[in-house]
Amino acid sequence: MSEHHKENFITKYVFTQDHKMIAKQFLITGMFMAVVGMLMSAIFRVQLANPGESSILYNLLPGAWLNDSGGLNPDKYLALVTMHGTILVFWVLTAGLSGTFANFLIPLQIGARDMASGFLNMLSYWFFFIATVVLLSSLFVETGPASGGWTIYPPLSALPQAIPGSGTGMTLWLISITLFVVGSLLGGLNYIVTILNLRTIGMTMQRLPLTVWALLITAILGVLSFPVLLSCGLLLIFDRSFGTSFYLSDIIIGGEALHNEGGSPILFEHLFWFLGHPEVYIILLPALGIVSEVIAVNSRKPIFGYKAMVGALLLIAFLSFIVWGHHMFMTGMNPFLGSVFTFTTLLIAIPSAVKVFNYLATLWRGNIRFTPAMLFAIGTVSAFITGGLTGIILGDSALDINVHDTYFVVGHFHIVMGLSAIYGMFAGVYHWFPKMYGRMMNKNLGYLHFWGTFICAYGVFFPMHFLGLAGLPRRYYSNSAFPMFDGLSDINELITFFALAGAIFQVFFLFNFFYSIFKGTKATQNPWKSNTLEWTTPVERIHGNWPGELPVVTRWAYDYSKPGADEDFILQTEPLKEGEIEH
Amino acid sequence: MTNILIVVVVILLVATLVQILRVSELLSEIKNKDVNEVTDKDNNTQGILFLIVGFGFLIFVVWQMVTWNHLLLPPASSVHGTQIDFLMKISMGLILVVFFVLSPILFYFLYKYRGKKSNKAYFFSHNNKLEVLWTVIPTIILTALIIFGLKTWDKAMNVELTESTTIIEVYGQQFNWTARYSGLDNNLGKANFKLVKGRNTLGVDMLDANAADDKMAREVHLVIDQPVLLKFRSQDVIHSAFLPHFRVQMNCVPGMTTQFGFTPTKTTAQMKESEGEDFEYILLCNKICGASHYNMQLKFIVETQEEYDLWLASQENLETKLLTQK
Amino acid sequence: MDIALRNTVKKQLLWVALVSISMFFASMLSAFIVEKADVVNWKVFILPDQFEISTVIILVSSFLLFFIKPLLKRGKSIFGLVFIVLILGILFSYFQIKGWQQLTNEGVYLTGIGSNVAGSFLYILTLTHLLHLVGGLVGLCISTIKSKQNLYSINNYLGLELTSIYWHFLTILWIILFTFLKFY
Ligand code: HEM
Ligand SMILES: [Cu+2]
Ligand SMILES: [Cu+2]
Repeated sequence: MSEHHKENFITKYVFTQDHKMIAKQFLITGMFMAVVGMLMSAIFRVQLANPGESSILYNLLPGAWLNDSGGLNPDKYLALVTMHGTILVFWVLTAGLSGTFANFLIPLQIGARDMASGFLNMLSYWFFFIATVVLLSSLFVETGPASGGWTIYPPLSALPQAIPGSGTGMTLWLISITLFVVGSLLGGLNYIVTILNLRTIGMTMQRLPLTVWALLITAILGVLSFPVLLSCGLLLIFDRSFGTSFYLSDIIIGGEALHNEGGSPILFEHLFWFLGHPEVYIILLPALGIVSEVIAVNSRKPIFGYKAMVGALLLIAFLSFIVWGHHMFMTGMNPFLGSVFTFTTLLIAIPSAVKVFNYLATLWRGNIRFTPAMLFAIGTVSAFITGGLTGIILGDSALDINVHDTYFVVGHFHIVMGLSAIYGMFAGVYHWFPKMYGRMMNKNLGYLHFWGTFICAYGVFFPMHFLGLAGLPRRYYSNSAFPMFDGLSDINELITFFALAGAIFQVFFLFNFFYSIFKGTKATQNPWKSNTLEWTTPVERIHGNWPGELPVVTRWAYDYSKPGADEDFILQTEPLKEGEIEH
Repeated sequence: MTNILIVVVVILLVATLVQILRVSELLSEIKNKDVNEVTDKDNNTQGILFLIVGFGFLIFVVWQMVTWNHLLLPPASSVHGTQIDFLMKISMGLILVVFFVLSPILFYFLYKYRGKKSNKAYFFSHNNKLEVLWTVIPTIILTALIIFGLKTWDKAMNVELTESTTIIEVYGQQFNWTARYSGLDNNLGKANFKLVKGRNTLGVDMLDANAADDKMAREVHLVIDQPVLLKFRSQDVIHSAFLPHFRVQMNCVPGMTTQFGFTPTKTTAQMKESEGEDFEYILLCNKICGASHYNMQLKFIVETQEEYDLWLASQENLETKLLTQK
Repeated sequence: MDIALRNTVKKQLLWVALVSISMFFASMLSAFIVEKADVVNWKVFILPDQFEISTVIILVSSFLLFFIKPLLKRGKSIFGLVFIVLILGILFSYFQIKGWQQLTNEGVYLTGIGSNVAGSFLYILTLTHLLHLVGGLVGLCISTIKSKQNLYSINNYLGLELTSIYWHFLTILWIILFTFLKFY
């Protein structure tokens, strides 16, 4: 489109339409939010280990509401938990992950000069940016930010009388999420249309790298499920601000009977989880895509079972739309309905298992090169095994009776979603950093970062399963109200220790990242010896990606260590040799 | 003051790191090799590290299972809970086996196939037999698990009302629970949120003939081996009634009534014997509901029929409580 | 990108967006259906006549849009046609608002005491539809101005085509909503 226009500072760095720059904007914003979210978790972890003890960390957090009476009271605790969840789920692992890598990789890996619509792409980021500002501004509201949990179940989230955070804070939350959804949808449209139309000559769907497949399926999930969050939120906005009763009925609060009758909070849960479950895959799939690529490149082997991998992605995506009820087993739903959801939920384990086996098969007899990216990719596989398995417990409605909403669930989703996805994101950053900034990230700091993170993360989230099996509910400000939990304080202290230690290791990453942007050693054109198209572009960023003609693709992305080739990799643009069969 | 100190420490730390990196990069320039190139030596160290840390993690898991075993919930004190426990044992056993097979494979592969410049990987892009195999096996196992799970679920959720089932209402509000016994007729009087007023904190409709003999209580007494059906309502936001020892949980949703039926099998006294003097059955709130969510409890006591009758007789019924007393 | 590709891309962007919007309404509609089955004191309302009038209007307007291509093919001006469609769109909105007035007269309210979930759904569904229609009206305005200036030809009327697709979508959407509200 606009290949030849002049760039000034504003069009280059701020209102840019270049997909690579937009990707970096998403990345930096996502990283910033990750730091904020992590800080919050550190604060409430300290509370859980040493109840009542206010920490130094606490003063680091901006927001007037925090400084009034001093100390972390239950309201503030819930506010922090809510904001932590919201930020990590939506800002870091949805926008930060998909936004970054979909923007960065799609045009580069399919051989396109840019996204289908650079303008929509730019809008997508700026909606996200404004959403960020609105969300953060809610920290400065007198009554505090939203505090009803990231799942914002009404009536709690609908009634300011029920919890202070459901006042202005919740309004801002809803506005922010609405903007966020609009931004994500604009992005999603673009990703889908770009992948379907702008593939370069020879780049058939069967030759797409798995990253692109994963990003495509993610975008489809987003386009289908985010609108539901919008309608879910819209009805809540009406209930909150205009006095309708979609979700409210028979309520007495603060000694006053509300007029609302006929609504159902359960309706909200259905709508929310219809988005909510696909959302967890919106988070996970891009990470799995990145991991597939990084593992293949660094094992110097083709990804095992390419077709099965794509098939598994498609199946997971499809199933993710018919399992949402597993978050609602305990809402008094019809037991038969519960059975149906148990059935569909446990089916998801099958494609998930296939993916794990295929990763293991890819590593088998590889020539594994441990770049920092590779370490994190392996971290994802490990976390996906560990966390996916506990899903089998939770998905079984009979077993969920006693672990629902306990720390067992917290352990499950932090490992399978939190860790898998954040490792995938780190893997992506380490792997494509040379492409993004033309420089290398420091390898040894990367190693340090990985091992610190890997050890601490399991130290944080694995013990949570035991807390859950001991019956400890989640979202408790303090565990001291029940004598039956007295024995658990050791575990809680251990978790907090690992959480703080883990946070410190992230400093090494941040440092490495920003240091390397300016001072890192210069990257070569194809530092990891990969096959994919992005490594055929020049090291210096140019608008339009390829200086001359677009590359022509003649083979799939995974010809690593192919017998008969001189090197252990063959660029996708390398024509097939005489008599050579494509994998 | 502490803040300034933190800032100073952070600045110093960053400065040191910068220096270290600069030095190592300069050194490598002198030696004429790339610092960030992954060497055979790196592969070797990282592969070994994976073996050590990976197995360290598995040992950590085993350690947790051993040391923290005594903290877990005691065996279920209800009929359906025992079945759930059995299903849990099987499922847990299964996922642990898979976990302890797959994780070592992963870590071992990383060690075994750590790269060398001189090596070449084996080109192996697919194998239909293998792929079918490892699709079919999980499918079979999961099918078995699903069937077993659904059976247990059906038994737990579809309670039959018998003659001897006691019906008790549990009413949640910010931030406490109230119980209401259905009285001699074993029928709860109707209730409506508009009738909540003064002492009638549950909004019981006293015009309903069934209401007169209902009894309100701040703790719940149950008879061993007698089925109960708990009916849940909420006054304000969603709460969740969670009775971990009985393997019972149900959300309490304003505007609707939910229920859960079960049969307790061990008295509180028996539990005190095996679990220690401090033991109590307790109902906790398990759905975020506001500031004191973490402290919303209702004591449950399981006892013999005689003890129960004695206790129940000492509770006044609603008729006396609401209508006669002023 | 050459022009043909650019047109396909733009059209596809719209199509995917329409899928997304459909999900929005599908979820609202299923919420409506579920609540109707669940709620005890569901107040049955009678759709005001105005909605029937607006149904006819939007059907006619959508129908008229089919004549754009033949007209352009014959090199005729399409200004009049597009203008009429725009007027019909505005009329549709007018009757929607009239319909709401009728509803409030009959005691069906969106919010507040005396409102009922049934009524609220009726309002919210029609309201969100109308909001989407405003987008269509903007498109039609631009198309009207452009057609007045004779900027469209058979080889170059993408903007108008996109607007038409969107408008047809709104028509179909309305018919579905109307059917559900009236007969379900
Ligand atoms: C093997 C496949 C999986 C199964 C069978 C499964 C099952 C479940 C079930 C039944 C719950 C509800 C637990 C409860 O609230 O009581 C749950 C919670 C959750 N799962 Fe999974 N899961 C699986 C994989 C995943 C994956 C891959 C992700 C994310 C990428 C994920 C993310 C989550 C999240 C975020 C929650 C908690 C939501 C909340 O209540 O805040 N799960 N899972
Ligand atoms: Cu889910
Ligand atoms: Cu609660």
